[in-house]
Amino acid sequence: MGPLTFNDIISTEWNYVIALLIGLAFGYILEASGFSSSRKLVGVFYGYDFVVIRVFITAVSVAMITLLYLDYLGFLDFSMLYVVPTYINAQVVGSIIMGIGFLMGGFCPGTSLTAVAIGKIDGMVFTGGIWLGIFGFSEAYPYIEDFNNSGYLGNVTIMDYFGINAYTFAFGFAVFAIIAFTVASKIRKNIKEIQY
Amino acid sequence: MEAKNIKFRHVYWNPYFGGLMLGLLIAATFYVTGRGVGATGGTKATVVKIVDVVAPEHTENQEFYSKYVDEDKNPMKNWLVFETLGILIGAFLSGSIKGRVNFRIQHSPKITSKTRLIFALAGGLFFGVGSQLARGCTSGAALSGSTVLSLAGFITMIGIFGTAYLFAYFFRKLWI
Amino acid sequence: MQKRYIFLAILFIAMASGLLFLPDMKEKSQIPVDVFLNDIHSNNRHLTSDEIAKRIINGDPMVFLVDVRTVEEYDNYSLPGSINIPLKDILLDDWAGYLDQDIVDVIFYSNDDILSEQAWALCKQLGFKNLYVLDGGLNTWFETIMLPKEPGELASTAAFDLFSFRTGASIYFGSGSTAVAVEAKPVKKKTIPVKKKAKREAEGGC
Repeated sequence: MGPLTFNDIISTEWNYVIALLIGLAFGYILEASGFSSSRKLVGVFYGYDFVVIRVFITAVSVAMITLLYLDYLGFLDFSMLYVVPTYINAQVVGSIIMGIGFLMGGFCPGTSLTAVAIGKIDGMVFTGGIWLGIFGFSEAYPYIEDFNNSGYLGNVTIMDYFGINAYTFAFGFAVFAIIAFTVASKIRKNIKEIQY
Repeated sequence: MEAKNIKFRHVYWNPYFGGLMLGLLIAATFYVTGRGVGATGGTKATVVKIVDVVAPEHTENQEFYSKYVDEDKNPMKNWLVFETLGILIGAFLSGSIKGRVNFRIQHSPKITSKTRLIFALAGGLFFGVGSQLARGCTSGAALSGSTVLSLAGFITMIGIFGTAYLFAYFFRKLWI
Repeated sequence: MQKRYIFLAILFIAMASGLLFLPDMKEKSQIPVDVFLNDIHSNNRHLTSDEIAKRIINGDPMVFLVDVRTVEEYDNYSLPGSINIPLKDILLDDWAGYLDQDIVDVIFYSNDDILSEQAWALCKQLGFKNLYVLDGGLNTWFETIMLPKEPGELASTAAFDLFSFRTGASIYFGSGSTAVAVEAKPVKKKTIPVKKKAKREAEGGC
């Protein structure tokens, strides 16, 4: 019955080994899909390479459906999974900042790590930038603490907030995924090829 | 020139296949550990640790750090630190198998390397600040959060991609 | 668009739509009715006061006493090492960790059998294991252990043995065989040796 570490099916000492293994697979998949290349990543915004949304939305959809099936079959307790807490104000502003950062740097933290691993200097600089950014944030924390914690809604899920059934949403998301892929392919055909 | 192009011609997985693998991995992660993956947590732990080593009194006084620094709680003994390590190793494995490991700066031919590095630094800064505000980055919040249908996950995902689409025009010189 | 992508897309939508048509699973699985009735009619669940007393005195770690009366009654008097789960709370998730396990023997008791039998039935039909009932409840406990009746002259040796055991037990449990009113002994809240299913908070984040 999952999650496995909760019910002591796997003891907590293994937790860190598991973390390493999961990171290993994560890094491998990201790099093999091409996420270590910044020009490939920003292609999604300019229409010449849609790998980001293809991988991302497929991953979210597949994982969502898998987890819901596991929950239904009794192998997993969906309600015990970690839900990211919602801080509306802070998160909206934070994601806007991150969007700009994505355009400038061409990476996101996870992919920048894969770039570092294969020797991309711009990836290393980006990771250094993250370090400085977090450092700066923590130094300025006393001033922005209030904003940081504003709009707290708790660990809210889509089901709680909008009252949609989880299964309906998962199905809707899958349909959205297929539509997005189709649109992406159409756009891709009409944009000129870019060598990178 | 030909030979160099062929050497760096990138052959990657089919994106849908990659997405399938990633999705199964995320599901497995949740099944085994009850949490998703994350990318900035390891960096944050490193920041806390270094500040702690350099200026211990500062960490005790500062609210942000004091949560992570305790008498016996080592901030580096964190699930995310090990996972970050794993990402580095895994990516290196994948890159080296395909012959992609090499020191280089990748940039659009229209800008210089220096410009690229400056913007990379700026991008990283923004991401560092933004990820702390949003309690996650694309991997931690958007990817893992959306999988369990958390509201924050979708807010973050729409925020990042929406903003980037809106402002893509202004940064086009960097990329195309 | 290539044919295989269309095929994959259809497969994908089919998997997702499967979620929409899943029949509702019952929240908690219940054991079949005939098995349940069988268990009711059999007497395996009843443990006598003597048995319980013996196991407590021997320090049997498998004994896990559950007092299903109200909080006031529990505070007034209860068996040593027992915990209090009022009957109305018995199905709450908080207690599932204690009751839904297969390591110790859960022994329900109340003043007489009525409440403890109900507790037993409620938990049994959810499929919990190792459930027992103190036969006759605390009333019988008092009559046999706390205030044992001296057997008559013509009783068998076994009866005398039982009586001496009970006298010893009553001294152990603190009342003394001649005391009429039982003093409320401060009950030591036993730490549960079994690893309960900890509702651990999921940690996470970036």
